[in-house]
Amino acid sequence: MDLIKGLRVTFSYQRPSATYTEQYPLERPPVAERYRGAPRLNNNPETGETLCIACNLCSLACPENLIVVGFERTQDRKKKLTTFTYDLSRCMFCGLCEDACPVDALELTQDFEIAHYSRDGMVWDRQALEEGPRPVRFTR
Amino acid sequence: MYSMAQATLDFLNANPILLALVKILIVFAVLSGIVAYLVYMERKVLAFMQARLGPMRVGPWGLLQPVADGIKLLLKEDIIPGGADKFVFLLAPAISVAAAFTVFAVIPFAGNFFISDINIGLLFILGVSSLGIYGIILGGWSSNSHYPLLGALRSSAQLVSYEVAAGMALVGVLLISNSLSMVEIVQVQQKMGVWNVFLQPVAFLIYLIAAVAETNRNPFDLPEAESELTAGFHTEYSGFRFALYFLAEYTNMVVVSCIAVTLFLGGWLRPFPNVHALDFLRFAPVAASLGAAAFILWLGLKSPVTAERYFFAGLSLVCLIVAGVVAIPAVLDAIQGLFWFTAKVVGFLYAFIWYRATFPRYRYDQLMNVGWRWMIPLALANMIVTAIVSYFVRIRPHAAVTAWLGW
Amino acid sequence: MPEATFLDSSELVLNMGPQHPATHGVLRVKLKLDGERVLGSECIIGYLHRGVEKIAENRTYQQFAPYVDRMDYVAAVTNGMGYVEAVEKLLGVEVPPRAQYTRMTLAELQRIASHLVWLGTHALDLGAMTPVFYTFREREEVLKIFEKYCGARLTTHAFRIGGLQYDLYDGFEGDVLKFCDYFESRVDEYEQLLTKNRIWINRTKGVGVLSAEDAVALGVTGPVLRGSGVKWDIRKVQPYEAYDKVEFEVPIGQNGDTYDRYLVRIQEMRQSVRICRQCIERLEPGPIFGKVGKVIKPPVGEVYHSIEAPKGELGYFVVSDGSTNPYRVRVRPPSFVNLQALDKMVRGHLVADVVAIIGTIDIVLGEVDR
Repeated sequence: MDLIKGLRVTFSYQRPSATYTEQYPLERPPVAERYRGAPRLNNNPETGETLCIACNLCSLACPENLIVVGFERTQDRKKKLTTFTYDLSRCMFCGLCEDACPVDALELTQDFEIAHYSRDGMVWDRQALEEGPRPVRFTR
Repeated sequence: MYSMAQATLDFLNANPILLALVKILIVFAVLSGIVAYLVYMERKVLAFMQARLGPMRVGPWGLLQPVADGIKLLLKEDIIPGGADKFVFLLAPAISVAAAFTVFAVIPFAGNFFISDINIGLLFILGVSSLGIYGIILGGWSSNSHYPLLGALRSSAQLVSYEVAAGMALVGVLLISNSLSMVEIVQVQQKMGVWNVFLQPVAFLIYLIAAVAETNRNPFDLPEAESELTAGFHTEYSGFRFALYFLAEYTNMVVVSCIAVTLFLGGWLRPFPNVHALDFLRFAPVAASLGAAAFILWLGLKSPVTAERYFFAGLSLVCLIVAGVVAIPAVLDAIQGLFWFTAKVVGFLYAFIWYRATFPRYRYDQLMNVGWRWMIPLALANMIVTAIVSYFVRIRPHAAVTAWLGW
Repeated sequence: MPEATFLDSSELVLNMGPQHPATHGVLRVKLKLDGERVLGSECIIGYLHRGVEKIAENRTYQQFAPYVDRMDYVAAVTNGMGYVEAVEKLLGVEVPPRAQYTRMTLAELQRIASHLVWLGTHALDLGAMTPVFYTFREREEVLKIFEKYCGARLTTHAFRIGGLQYDLYDGFEGDVLKFCDYFESRVDEYEQLLTKNRIWINRTKGVGVLSAEDAVALGVTGPVLRGSGVKWDIRKVQPYEAYDKVEFEVPIGQNGDTYDRYLVRIQEMRQSVRICRQCIERLEPGPIFGKVGKVIKPPVGEVYHSIEAPKGELGYFVVSDGSTNPYRVRVRPPSFVNLQALDKMVRGHLVADVVAIIGTIDIVLGEVDR
């Protein structure tokens, strides 16, 4: 009978190899390399200085206008980055800012655990952005 | 130690009322525990069939989940709707639970372990389980809101129709066993050497389907499904009263399984009770305990948390000790009936959960269609055929069947 | 005159409110009942209106692309594809073949994912609680492919105007082919669970019948139209991308009831697998971006471009006034137009069937309300 066929399908699923659950705090999901997660301002690995040239392209590209780039002119009329504010509470994680950056300074990392207890904590300043993701480690 | 046990037993046998009270207490306590862990088992089995894990957090492997649920339901706010009839509102879940538990008074768990064996056992069961329907109707009516009332009316109509079908299916068994007493029905099966399911397969199927409908389980759970409009008769109940309804439903499941096992699957008898070649099946309890120990050990060693591993190793050791204790011949003999009864009931309950996982839900009119147009005529036909056959073997079916089977 | 109570057999208006486990979002349906039979229905929408079309007027063309994903949030890739193609049509830009085949592969994978959500939730509405877990597990695999490709699972923003932002990652072909291989056996499993199941057939045959004339008159598209017997699939009739170069069949139903629509969608999933395989074969190395500048300023004009989204015909009407922001973007959502058929389909059925019928039209409120 047709009903028995259905019963057989569900019965066969009881083998442990068919279980698809990842128990979250113990096993983190493997995240792809291109995952658009929390933003990070990259520094030059040798000199430690920021790679950002304060060109403001990311802020122009953003659909939500949530990036504010502050800069000052140095003696030889070059731009130097002072403040960089990124409002995560309105961010769509669309990746347009990452695409727009010409020097790969702004990058969306694989960090997805960016929950915060207050709305102010979602507005990241330059220091928070440079430190990069700080995931909270949960125990059982 | 042994003489103390002997003295207690003698004392109890001398005071039958006290004995009955002790038995009732034991059955009630064990049954409540079983029903609570039935909820856990359902969630786990359902989860595994759906490629997921089920409760894992509360206690190792989720074993304390029923405790957590019970505590939560006890601590919830008890809301009584404004225009509700207070007395009936408070009474309705109690009726459901009481009716569900009362049936256990006549079910034989083993050859010598039953609370009472009245000679109209089957009639008593049918009567009392019909009383449980009052709990549903009164609950829906006293909520003073039209959704619960509609749900209660639908649910009770469904229950009543399938009670008729179930009752008629049971008459087939009655005709074979010539007695309404539950213990005698099993004894007749023992004498005949064959379980009633082989003599009455149609009745068994009808009873199985009617049992699923009786307990409002999938595929007949329209009255209490969340995705339908009328949210069911227990909408307005919260906290412990809801827990009582919940308890009543799962107890009903156990009751219906126990009845099916006693009537169709030979109660406490092992498979092929009169065939001596299969006597090695006596050792099944030992094998089961050893199997349980091995399984628990295998499960536990896979856990990443060390505390859990120790817990499961300990549990596995307990199972080994149980296997050792059960291997003592005196204990083995005493526990035979109980073991087989429990095994069969668990198999039935597993089937209930299996159906819930697999089948979609019948619509209400299709449900009543199935009940009235298929189940009842089929049950009637089965009754007539059984009556004719048993008349022609001169109402001594066991002798004729034994002769026919050549035993 | 006696006070009308719910036990009277006169008309009763029942409100299936915006919060309901079975209405697939915030849909409010007012049913006029006579006892248990439905006499008529009225849908009240707008609970999820976010003003997407108005937002479009204040963003540039590239900036608007992420917003488009959020309309039909179950099938974001096809939303993006429709918008991007519409703007490309306006600009007159030709997309290189590698980009075309990649877009088609991702769109067909998205079609499979969307139909899987439909199957799971529809079965859940009708009481079968296991298929939803199996379908979502398959969907996990598709979403993992999306994540590896463009970085997000649900709001993918996969395509850019003119081509693709990212080239395929190493192992894309392997992943897709592996998925296609085991997916066919999984669809067989779903069919084993449901297609011949007598309870399922009882619940879905003859329920929600929509005749072909009514379907065409109401303007429904997609599997709802094809289930009623009309052979109309935009991929065949007005091919876009490279759909005219791949072979696939368009399944149609006969009676226009829920069971036929179920069969049509299952067959569509199988055909999508076929298309995916062909697209992967035809992938060749090449450029992935057409000739589009950094700043997009289309010439003054308007364009209407529609694609076959999983739910039906998704159309974009883009009006440009020569500046960097579009003057108007109007979206023709398939679910919105299909929902009009609800009233026709629901008459004469029982209340319990309304849930099944809403499920079979496959609506996503994000699209209906935008």
